[in-house]
Amino acid sequence: MNKPAVEAERSEILTEVGKLIIPFIQVFAIYVILNGHLSPGGGFAGGTILGASMILHRLIFGWDNLISRLTYDRVMKWMCASLLIYGALKGYSFLTGGMHLEVWDVPLGTPGKLLSGGFILPLNIAVGIIVSITVYVFFKLFYEGTI
Amino acid sequence: MKGPYDMGHLIANYYETGAIILFGVGFVTLLAHGNLIKKIIGMNIMDTAVFLFFIAKGYISGNEAPIIRSAKPASGYVNPVPTALMLTGIVIAVSITAFALSLTIRVYEKYGTVDLNEIIKMGGE
Amino acid sequence: MAVYNSYPLVIILVLFISAFAIPIFKSIKAARTIGISAAGISFVLSILTLMGVKENGAYYFRVGHYDAPWGIEFHIGIIEGLMGVLFMTVSLAVLWFSIYSIDHDLSKKKVPLFYTLVNLLVGSLLGIVFSDDLFNCFVFIEISSIASCGIVVVKDKKENIKAALKYLILSSLGSGLVLMGIALVYSLTGHLNMPHIHEALVSIYPEHSRNMLIAIGLFTVGLGVKSAMFPLHTWLPDAHTFAPASSSALLSALVLKAYVILYIKIIHRVFGMSIVGELPVLNIVLLLGAVGMIAGSVLAILQKNLKRMVAYSSVAQMGYVFFGIGLGTTMGLAAAIFQIFNHAFTKSALFLSAGSILEKTGKKNISDLKGVGKEMPFTMAIFAIGGMSLVGIPLLSGFNSKWNFAVAVIEAHRVELLAVVLISSLLNALYYFPIIINGYFGEESLEGKVYRNTERPIKELLPVIVLVLGVIYFGVSGGGLLSLIEAGIPALN
Repeated sequence: MNKPAVEAERSEILTEVGKLIIPFIQVFAIYVILNGHLSPGGGFAGGTILGASMILHRLIFGWDNLISRLTYDRVMKWMCASLLIYGALKGYSFLTGGMHLEVWDVPLGTPGKLLSGGFILPLNIAVGIIVSITVYVFFKLFYEGTI
Repeated sequence: MKGPYDMGHLIANYYETGAIILFGVGFVTLLAHGNLIKKIIGMNIMDTAVFLFFIAKGYISGNEAPIIRSAKPASGYVNPVPTALMLTGIVIAVSITAFALSLTIRVYEKYGTVDLNEIIKMGGE
Repeated sequence: MAVYNSYPLVIILVLFISAFAIPIFKSIKAARTIGISAAGISFVLSILTLMGVKENGAYYFRVGHYDAPWGIEFHIGIIEGLMGVLFMTVSLAVLWFSIYSIDHDLSKKKVPLFYTLVNLLVGSLLGIVFSDDLFNCFVFIEISSIASCGIVVVKDKKENIKAALKYLILSSLGSGLVLMGIALVYSLTGHLNMPHIHEALVSIYPEHSRNMLIAIGLFTVGLGVKSAMFPLHTWLPDAHTFAPASSSALLSALVLKAYVILYIKIIHRVFGMSIVGELPVLNIVLLLGAVGMIAGSVLAILQKNLKRMVAYSSVAQMGYVFFGIGLGTTMGLAAAIFQIFNHAFTKSALFLSAGSILEKTGKKNISDLKGVGKEMPFTMAIFAIGGMSLVGIPLLSGFNSKWNFAVAVIEAHRVELLAVVLISSLLNALYYFPIIINGYFGEESLEGKVYRNTERPIKELLPVIVLVLGVIYFGVSGGGLLSLIEAGIPALN
């Protein structure tokens, strides 16, 4: 792994402000993801915000933080698990719909409530995880030259 | 010039006219410039122009955005299908841009230049 | 709803899910097992689908719980079933061959990535063929263009990156044009489902004929860039030459074909011959196809690198397909689809054997290949059979394909085009025969070469032999396939 071209110094203002702000950004991202079927937002927008918070963490807490929680292996496993869950849910819905089978389907519920809307909520969560990891991986690729 | 098509139509549908002009700008930038970064910018402008065209076709004047606050009949909302389709399109455009940019970085490391004409003259067979 | 109705969707799901399951396991053995078993399951399912459709006719399969036009549908007829079997056969053979050959080209870390990308590519190509909804086809087009650039660049040399970048930029140019065409069609009719668009277009045809001409033009140029129609083929030689052998075989045999099938569906299903017959589009496609047939061969004669010559030959063969589409008759369309089958089997066998020769002897240029027939007799034999098929020797599938084109041209009362077919066959002979003759015969070439010195074991050549058996089978009994295709064409409308 090679070091990035410009190395930021460890500044106390950035560290303290970062410790305060990053959890709020992540809570807001989770709010946007969970309310995707009721208001504008959803998996893509919320995932981008979550990815931005991961990039901010990487920029502030920098190179010295060698005990990184976001190693390539762990990140790839999360992404593949989310993709598999997405594929399994969608496959179940497509096959039962296409073959006109009358099996158990996720109840549709009422508009305006959080836990209604069928499959949309789990799918939004999966898409949010995937998009945030993709944004973070591309940032690392461009900033450090390797994943 | 009177007929089935005239300038009044073009000015009344200014979104679509602007989208076609932007499409032309992006297309020419993609083809004419040699610098790889400019080609990628041209590709983005071209895709964005198509999104603008598509979404503008879904707009019905006087109706509001399709978010249910108090129940209205379906004719009170703008057509939501183009916006949903273009979300997919934007994600596709972003991922192709990211892939092209990472390939450009690798080309710069190996060849030392980002000009496509020089790369073709330089490299291999 | 019989069980086999859901098999096309199951094929696509199995391919995509296996592609995402591969990066979880790190080892190459796990990647190979998952990739090849997914391809094997899909192969069996595609054969069962074709058998079901032959008995009971074409059907619509809705994906999800909503009917068209609000939901997405798949339309599976005989032609789509045949394409499914073709794609899975060729990709299974190439994946089987790649067990033995991919290690030499790629670094160890990238081999699982190769299997992921191949499964994604074949899954998205099948999605383009099966789907009945224009925007769904566009999404699959984009997935396949990223995956096909991926299998070119997975080998890490500097020419590969240049070739992949050229391919990516021209390919996204084509996709932008196709998206603009879809936008125009949507603005005219408000539907995205192919039969519904057809009804709406037929009813509004007289006033908006200029719009429809622009839309068809955009689709032609956009899909033509992606499937190497003559003046828009400039990305093809670099991309197919520098890619690893299995990737070149997949790119040349399968990727170009799916876009042509989409183009056929757009012309016959979305617009219909009643509209397209009155516009000059098909004549332009015919002209470009004819020029491509001749110019591709002329450019191939001038090449010195073996794989680059085979790549230019691909341009010429795709010219045949566009020639058949441009004729506008049922017989021309059937000849074009038969040529798709012929070219897929032949070109993949040619690229795999050319890749073997390159890998085992290390020689890229044609002039260095004198006497290679004594060192690698079986590989050279496979290359020879493939070359003779493209030239048009009887008993091989290439001869049947050219015969079909000749019959179609005569039936369409354009006998002067027969000369084009004959001239291009002659030009094909001009560049394939010297390689075969120099490989096997000639005293000064053969001295100093040891018999079967650098040959591949037969076990490794089995997948390529399977492909060559396909070539011979379609040569000897091509009539059955042709009548099946002709029976399937009315279901396209």
